[in-house]
Amino acid sequence: MSGRALRKSYGDGVALDDVDLTVHEGAVHGLLGPNGAGKTTLLRALLGLVRLDAGTLEVQGTVGGFVETPGAYPYLTGRQNLQILAGLDDCPGDVDEVLRRVDLADRSDTLVNGWSLGMRQRLGIAAGLLRRPDVLVLDEPANGLDPLGARGLRDLVRELAAEGLTVLLCSHDLAEVDALCEDVTVLVGGQVVWSGAVTDLRARPGRFLVSTSADDRALRLAVDGLAASPRPDGGLVVVGATEVVDAYVLELAAQGVAVRGLVRESLPLEEAFLELTA
Amino acid sequence: MRVLPWELRKLRAQSSVQVAFLVCLLGPPLLAVVLGAQTGLPKDTLFGRHVHDSGFALPLLLLGFAGTWAFPLLTSLVAGDIFASEDSLGTWSAVLTRSRTRAEVFTGKVLAATLVAVGLLAVTAGSSLLSGLALTGAHPLTGLSGGQLSAARSTLLVLVSWACAIPALIGFTALACLLSIVSRNSVIGIGGPVVLGLLMQLLALVGGLGSATGLLLTAPFAAWHGLVREQPYYGPLWQGALVSVVWVVACLVPARRVLLQRDFA
Repeated sequence: MSGRALRKSYGDGVALDDVDLTVHEGAVHGLLGPNGAGKTTLLRALLGLVRLDAGTLEVQGTVGGFVETPGAYPYLTGRQNLQILAGLDDCPGDVDEVLRRVDLADRSDTLVNGWSLGMRQRLGIAAGLLRRPDVLVLDEPANGLDPLGARGLRDLVRELAAEGLTVLLCSHDLAEVDALCEDVTVLVGGQVVWSGAVTDLRARPGRFLVSTSADDRALRLAVDGLAASPRPDGGLVVVGATEVVDAYVLELAAQGVAVRGLVRESLPLEEAFLELTA
Repeated sequence: MRVLPWELRKLRAQSSVQVAFLVCLLGPPLLAVVLGAQTGLPKDTLFGRHVHDSGFALPLLLLGFAGTWAFPLLTSLVAGDIFASEDSLGTWSAVLTRSRTRAEVFTGKVLAATLVAVGLLAVTAGSSLLSGLALTGAHPLTGLSGGQLSAARSTLLVLVSWACAIPALIGFTALACLLSIVSRNSVIGIGGPVVLGLLMQLLALVGGLGSATGLLLTAPFAAWHGLVREQPYYGPLWQGALVSVVWVVACLVPARRVLLQRDFA
């Protein structure tokens, strides 16, 4: 699935401003951003619910899923709701099968009117799966789910991705995104401010954690453009451009100090997200 | 046409539709019981004075009465809600992400609303005819020109008269669909046609519109008057059908356009 130069305005307000989006087949891709960033508009455009002003959106296969709280007919049972939707599709999936997958098989013959938000969320996912989609769009799917339900949802998403389904997950729950997504796109004010692997987003640019055979000597070694400081739990934090850090490592080796570990400092996703969107 | 059966299935499950059918079925016999117990008659109403003379008077009395507000209410109960309820329930995103196009969904919903409206009319017509016959019997009916109409002809005239209300009923269905789509609000979708229907009746009563009165959507509801005579005339029927078609087109074309171009944001 890919989108190029996507634009959408509502009156004077710009919801999407030259947005590019690429989601690889079989990946779980996170869509992040503060409220009003344009995430929902992008999802609605993907589902064909809003018309873009400009840009090209290409999806290989069918798209299913829901945006915001999934709706249902309260005067019908869960099963009847899905049967109605299946009736509107050319090649729908099996109603019983999708009910089982979202763990609603036991309650499927009761009226949706009495269902909790979490059950309606799961019915929304079932409705999306019923489409037998190649791309599944989920907007805050864990909303209203208890911890066990949220865990079940994460397992389901992993399972679907393992089966080759592409999932686009929009969520404010960064722990959920961290646990599920390989790639993320971050929107702010209708523009993409980050797109790439979650590990890259979490990796703070220019900060490395170094452990050596002689930290005291490593700390004293001066290299232009690099600042080193000790870590309370051992090792050093060095800050500098990648090539400067390369020179530092070579110099350590020349001085007879062995480098035992060198990693980019990784931030919690939440902190990285807040730095990016501040 | 693939949307129609599913829309009908949804409507069948709604309590408001079930209640509407029940009222249409039980309303006429209840009215017959009340009229049967009364010594006085609604003489100022069309066919009111003949209710105790012929069983065919009751369905025509009801038909004359229904045209003022009951038909607009009957049809808008479904048509005024059928689009707006998808907004209030948040189900558009589930419906519009299926294989069916927006145009197909529009057609299916309009057809479903029309079928239910015609069904409600048919139930009321049948129930009122049977109630009238049970109340008074199949005696000849005194027509609007004063002559007696045989039982067989009266039966046919009652059924045809009720059928004559269908074009205008579909006109009100189209109006309710338009309001339902544009307002996205069931209250406006259901109440709007009733209020507009009453307003049209008022305009016709005041008579300020002159010959344009015939263009009002409520005018075709009275077109059957020409039939219940010894020498029937059909001009108002054709005019009423034409006016109804114009209203249907004038309402459904913009309604469809709005639904097809709408952003479901």
